[in-house]
Amino acid sequence: MVAITRSLSPALVGERLSAVLLAATLGIGLLFVSGFAPVVALHNAAHDWRHAHNFPCH
Amino acid sequence: MTKRLLAAALVAGFLAACVASALQFALTSPLILAAEKYETAETVAPARHAFANPLIVLAHAGHDHGGEPQWQPAPGLPRLAFTALATLVSGVGYALLLGAVLVASGREVTPGEALKFGIGGFLAASLAPAIGLPPELPGVAAAALESRQLWWVATAVATAAGLYLIAIRRGPVAIGLGLALIVAPQAWGAPHGPEEISAMPPVYAAQFAARSLAIGFAFWAVLGLAFGWAWGAVTGRQGAAGHTHGVTA
Repeated sequence: MVAITRSLSPALVGERLSAVLLAATLGIGLLFVSGFAPVVALHNAAHDWRHAHNFPCH
Repeated sequence: MTKRLLAAALVAGFLAACVASALQFALTSPLILAAEKYETAETVAPARHAFANPLIVLAHAGHDHGGEPQWQPAPGLPRLAFTALATLVSGVGYALLLGAVLVASGREVTPGEALKFGIGGFLAASLAPAIGLPPELPGVAAAALESRQLWWVATAVATAAGLYLIAIRRGPVAIGLGLALIVAPQAWGAPHGPEEISAMPPVYAAQFAARSLAIGFAFWAVLGLAFGWAWGAVTGRQGAAGHTHGVTA
């Protein structure tokens, strides 16, 4: 799989880069909403998760 | 590849969230509820429990518009459901980051390899921040929220980068730099609030910290294993030729 990706570059390398960037952006966005967003309703909804997984809370 | 990465992250996030939610309901939620009895002892309206502590009002000073009760999930099942939802959202989020780093590293994605990255995720996002900011129950005095969040993110990112340098890059320079990145935020030190005597039995806090880290480890281990498994399953395991029938998955 990896070997194929490398041998077929640059198209697949570009595809890999875009996949990585998209996943990283989405992941950071989701974690911000559940772990860090200061909106009170989001904080209260995710309250127990934030405490259980040691996100700074309150 | 994008679809494969997103699909594997969804599956891994869902499975890890199932395991973590069950553990949270059994191990940490009862402790949080018990601690909130001490936190809300002097509060007028239970719905405003999040603002019972004067430190909290400081942290939220820009957003809190006074006395109106803020929305929060109803006690019991709704609260558990929202906790599970938050766990799912975070599980998918962490799975996306794990997948992004794993794919970016160029390594072959297998359950074993993904498990290693999952353990790295536990070290970076659970254990390292917990050294400076131990998992806390509601009602425990702490420093201003923003400063703790900043230290938390900086520590997680620096530890992850340090682990990446040590485990993937190797080489003396990379290992030295990696160790420095891991040690730096701890040497700098986490922001600490005033040390207050709480009416809450200390065993609650000790149990909570230990259980929180245990759940974190289970969460990350399942996340890694499941991501590696789902990555293979999405294309059909035998498809070593990879993209032939995987693109449409």
